[in-house]
Amino acid sequence: MSMFLRWLVFGLAALLFNFPLISTLLTSLKSEGEIVSNPSILIQSPTFANYVKIFEMADRFDILHFLWNSLVISALGAFFALLLAFPAAYVIVRTGFGRNWLLPFVLNLRALPLIIFAIPLYMMFQAVGLLDTLFGLALIMCIINLPLTLALLSSTLRNIPEELDDAARVDGASTLSIILRIILPLSVAAIASSSVLGFVYAWNEFLFGLMLTTKSATPITVGASFFFSASGGGVKWGVASAVIILSLLPPLVVGLLFYRSIGRSLTGGAVKG
Amino acid sequence: MQVSSKEKFWLTAPITFFLLVMLGFPLLLDLIYSVSEVTFENLLSPRLQGFENYLKTLQDPTYWDALAFSLKFGLTASLVQLILALFLAIYLEPLLARHPWLMAVLMAPMMVAPALIGLMYRLILHEFVGVIPYYLWEWVGDSPAFLGTENAFLTLVTIEILQWTPFALLIIYTAYRAIPTHLREAARMDGANSAQLLLLVELPNMMPVILLTFFIRFIDSFRVFDNIYVLVGSGAGGTSTSLSIYIYKAFFRGGNIGQAVAASVLLFLAALLLIALLERFSRRMETT
Repeated sequence: MSMFLRWLVFGLAALLFNFPLISTLLTSLKSEGEIVSNPSILIQSPTFANYVKIFEMADRFDILHFLWNSLVISALGAFFALLLAFPAAYVIVRTGFGRNWLLPFVLNLRALPLIIFAIPLYMMFQAVGLLDTLFGLALIMCIINLPLTLALLSSTLRNIPEELDDAARVDGASTLSIILRIILPLSVAAIASSSVLGFVYAWNEFLFGLMLTTKSATPITVGASFFFSASGGGVKWGVASAVIILSLLPPLVVGLLFYRSIGRSLTGGAVKG
Repeated sequence: MQVSSKEKFWLTAPITFFLLVMLGFPLLLDLIYSVSEVTFENLLSPRLQGFENYLKTLQDPTYWDALAFSLKFGLTASLVQLILALFLAIYLEPLLARHPWLMAVLMAPMMVAPALIGLMYRLILHEFVGVIPYYLWEWVGDSPAFLGTENAFLTLVTIEILQWTPFALLIIYTAYRAIPTHLREAARMDGANSAQLLLLVELPNMMPVILLTFFIRFIDSFRVFDNIYVLVGSGAGGTSTSLSIYIYKAFFRGGNIGQAVAASVLLFLAALLLIALLERFSRRMETT
């Protein structure tokens, strides 16, 4: 009986939390005519027409272009953060160098609203020609991802016994080869979690995508909103819903595949589970 | 042999350089522009003029409205998320422990962009094609203007809570599961009932995580931008302008660079204060 109540509460919570997703998915499977005549959650005649229509609009809003931009920006953003954080995490953990300034500074970035830097970054990007480029946005994503990546990597490296380093040193290995041959293979799990989370964060970013792009580097979160602009005879709700579903799938799939590791990762290892 | 100091330098130089260029330099620009008279025409040669931008910002009632909105939004959202998450984590624990994949179902909204969630609600709350107004008309015979001046705050904060309670739930659930079993057994041995166990053992044990979750959720909700921007743009008569939206609007819509930058610096100072409080608090947590 008490388990039944728990199932009930779970079902209610799951429904409430996921309601926008479910409802949008259902709308995307209705014809434009049915959306207007029947806004309920039941579908009279399901159709994939909206998903086909998205691609017929490619001359105005090219969804594949937006998706490609987001893919590149997110992958590069996660990769850059790893590239910068990994050597730093090694030095911080093994020598204590930077433990009192670099580590806290980066971790506290999580608490800083990045809009503070948005205006000067806009001006800098304009000055050096990074506005509306994938590389420029990937740099921003790298800032966003650094706190979590560094936190995850340093808490992982802390658990790799230093004896391994020492043994390799006795055999004449350099610091660089220790990092690449010993530490890197042992931190694959942390690298995977931070890549996944970094990818999801970057994919879902909106503010900088909105401010720093105009056309060629527009990410999908911004591109999806174009389909909701009423220009040219009102919003096509069916197409707009289908666009949303396609836009949210990549991070949702990646995130759910790795959902077990995300709980621990979110707090950067502060909560052990 | 240890890591040489030359190696220490070269291994940390990239990240340090990156932070200086991408955050240090922008902050410097923020500071300079905030005390200058600056327009889009004289960006490279701003004229120093003292604290006028700050005075203008502080005398701007919409700035204070935005600050009040963000504070109220952040506090309401984070507190409700925390309470819901605590209840769900503890009440559903026996169920989630037996079927761990159920957690993935609850976590799904966390993986979705807030901007996309905002767009979804534009459809769901639409007066003609939206599913919620449809059922309200069907069942109650009336449907409020969800994004009108009166209801905008409640609507937006509800959307924020429904999307991010899973985040708080996940962290708190992980902490709840990590409470050492011997603590529970000892309390049971001493004759504690479930309520006593919760109040005297489990909650105190989870307190650092609960507070951490509260801080994270507050910070994220305080700086809200995406979902509000796509839902109401620059706001239903200013009633739903968060600080982030205020800065964005002052810069892109108003071309009011000086004021936007001054507001950014003020936000930076407030964030520093919060971080200092957090540091002090976490240090105290470590020592106790």
